[in-house]
Amino acid sequence: MQALYTSPYFGVTLSVIAFGIGVKLRQKTKSAICNPLVIAIVLVIGVLLCFKIPYDSYNIGGEIINMFLAPATACLAVSIYTRLSILKKYWLPILVGCTAGSLSSMTSVYVMCRLFGLETNLTMSILPKSVTTPIAVSVAEAHGGVVPVTVAAVIFTGILGSIMAPWLIRVLRVSDRVAAGLAIGASSHAVGTSKAIEIGEVEGAMSGLAIGICGIATVIFSMFI
Amino acid sequence: MKIIKQVGIIFTVCWLSQLIANVLPFTFPASVIGMLFLFICLLTGLLKIEHIQEKSDFLLENMAFFFIPAGVSIMNYFEILKSSVVQLVIVCMVSTVITFAVTVYSVKWTMRLLDRRRK
Repeated sequence: MQALYTSPYFGVTLSVIAFGIGVKLRQKTKSAICNPLVIAIVLVIGVLLCFKIPYDSYNIGGEIINMFLAPATACLAVSIYTRLSILKKYWLPILVGCTAGSLSSMTSVYVMCRLFGLETNLTMSILPKSVTTPIAVSVAEAHGGVVPVTVAAVIFTGILGSIMAPWLIRVLRVSDRVAAGLAIGASSHAVGTSKAIEIGEVEGAMSGLAIGICGIATVIFSMFI
Repeated sequence: MKIIKQVGIIFTVCWLSQLIANVLPFTFPASVIGMLFLFICLLTGLLKIEHIQEKSDFLLENMAFFFIPAGVSIMNYFEILKSSVVQLVIVCMVSTVITFAVTVYSVKWTMRLLDRRRK
């Protein structure tokens, strides 16, 4: 029985199947709550717990998948590069917005965690929650955060942002499409960006740019902690 | 062969950025160095977008998949989370609204300043 799950193929196959189901459910329901990543994580944990398979066995395959995280982050450069003309046109608002957004995200998390008396390692885990997962994970790791908590917080924030974005645009009466796009990207990274693309082309492009730029801003700010 | 070459280019970028990260006197995530490194290569024309298009599309489109193992490892931390999950959820919610509002207003004000200058 053990031979079934001590091979690296087990972890990879289980992840692929779980993710496939997640993507299907998303296509069926078209709801932000049906995030394929969340569904995949829940399914994998469910299978491991049900069949009493140790996490370490799953992670033999898991580590292979992990290896692609750094290349995937590096490729965010490509998505910034393809939007170079729009970046040049609005460079100052983009820079100011992303810097202010990242700083306010980190400060607000830090202050609230202190108010709630949360432990330092938990605070560090969710401090970078508004930026894209690979960058958030690196920042949390460097400051003693608990990486899985960071992943959970980042996904949760992303889903939250994509649900609240249309409502926030209305409540704050945001008529400027550049401002709306940047705000979505700064507050809820790639998950929010998929919503921003639905709202409009300018919003989508701006939100996509904000992912990379806010990521860099967050890394730089975190160096001063 | 085309795909293998693209994988090779991107992995080389990641490998070099890991080396750079090790040499740097402060902690800076290797993946972000890779991103800046790749961006500079594209800007200077050292690499053309065609050199990495397919591989980068593959990685960007499937980004979420690569986070499954990291997310699954949360099962090892259920105990730590149990006592503070409510606080964490509140912090995330409030902070998301604050971040959104601050970004919107800072962009608006910057645009207004730029407009005034132009006039």
